[in-house]
Amino acid sequence: MNTIEERLWSYIDGTCGEEERKAIDMLIANDEAYRAKFEELLSFDQELIKMEADEPSMGFTYNVMETIRAEHASQPLKSAINKNIIKGLGIFFIAVISIMLILMLSTLHITPARFTVHLPDSVKLPDLKNLLSGKVLSVFLFVDMILALVFVDAWVRRRKAKHALKS
Amino acid sequence: MQSKLSDIELIEQTLAGNQAAYADLVKRHQRFVFTLAMRFCKSREDAEEVAQDCFIKAYRSLASFQGQAKFSTWLYSIVYTTAMTFLRKKRVDTDSIDDENTYIQLENQSSGLNNNMAEKRSRSYYLNQAIGRLLPDDAAIITLFYMGEQSLEEIGQTLGIDPNTVKVKLFRARQRLKEKLEKSLKDEVKELI
Repeated sequence: MNTIEERLWSYIDGTCGEEERKAIDMLIANDEAYRAKFEELLSFDQELIKMEADEPSMGFTYNVMETIRAEHASQPLKSAINKNIIKGLGIFFIAVISIMLILMLSTLHITPARFTVHLPDSVKLPDLKNLLSGKVLSVFLFVDMILALVFVDAWVRRRKAKHALKS
Repeated sequence: MQSKLSDIELIEQTLAGNQAAYADLVKRHQRFVFTLAMRFCKSREDAEEVAQDCFIKAYRSLASFQGQAKFSTWLYSIVYTTAMTFLRKKRVDTDSIDDENTYIQLENQSSGLNNNMAEKRSRSYYLNQAIGRLLPDDAAIITLFYMGEQSLEEIGQTLGIDPNTVKVKLFRARQRLKEKLEKSLKDEVKELI
């Protein structure tokens, strides 16, 4: 500490050490100039302590909360979805599929010599020839084509929008 | 009526989805946050914008508040960075304003001062005026120390500087404030004579 003011401010703020405090106590008691300066700084300090905070407008809290509410409302669904729910659903489906697979495999009779699978008598597979008849196949392919076109269109639009933003 | 719950309890309730708890937190700290913003922005409109922005930012990152420091210290550090960003942006904007506009602004300001002459001018009025004329950093340190009741360590955390540096800055800020206050009072006496 160099100047009288610096020492006195440390004393007033209570940031000086015990020895320094005792030394300043002595100086204030015995030195007239020191005491005068101390009283001047102390009264300035008191004035600063008495300062009052400014008051914002009446609707301040309301405005803050409204902005927060609006932000919540406009939050994209992607970030509003609880990831734990998605994880839970995933675990549920994996568990169900695993149990089904285990049950299915336990009911199968596999002969290793010829690699043929013998299904139990109660299980009957649908006739694939009927399923994949000309009409069904063409409807399936048509729907696929439409879906592919929709996805390509969406992708091209997104790319165009990105380019427009960059430029 | 303000909540009697502690800041930490209100934060826990907010994180649990109770927005009313955050409104209580805003009510509790709004005066000081606004005052601190005023130290940087100088105009009420800008300070209010900055203060609102701070509370919104605090809400967004409330989950990251560790609770190691006081909530107020954490909040004031948001105020400091937001206000500094605002000032930088404002500086860039005002650089483009021509001299004529600046002159008009200054003229309006002085006429506003004349209107305030009728106002009772206590010593605290001059003190606030003098703080307004300080550099933002000086004004912020004085405000944090006296109004925010922050220790040198907490101010250091808020401003991202060493507590010893805060001590030196606080000393200098008080010196400058004292000088400005004395000058204001002298000018006032001259005006009256």
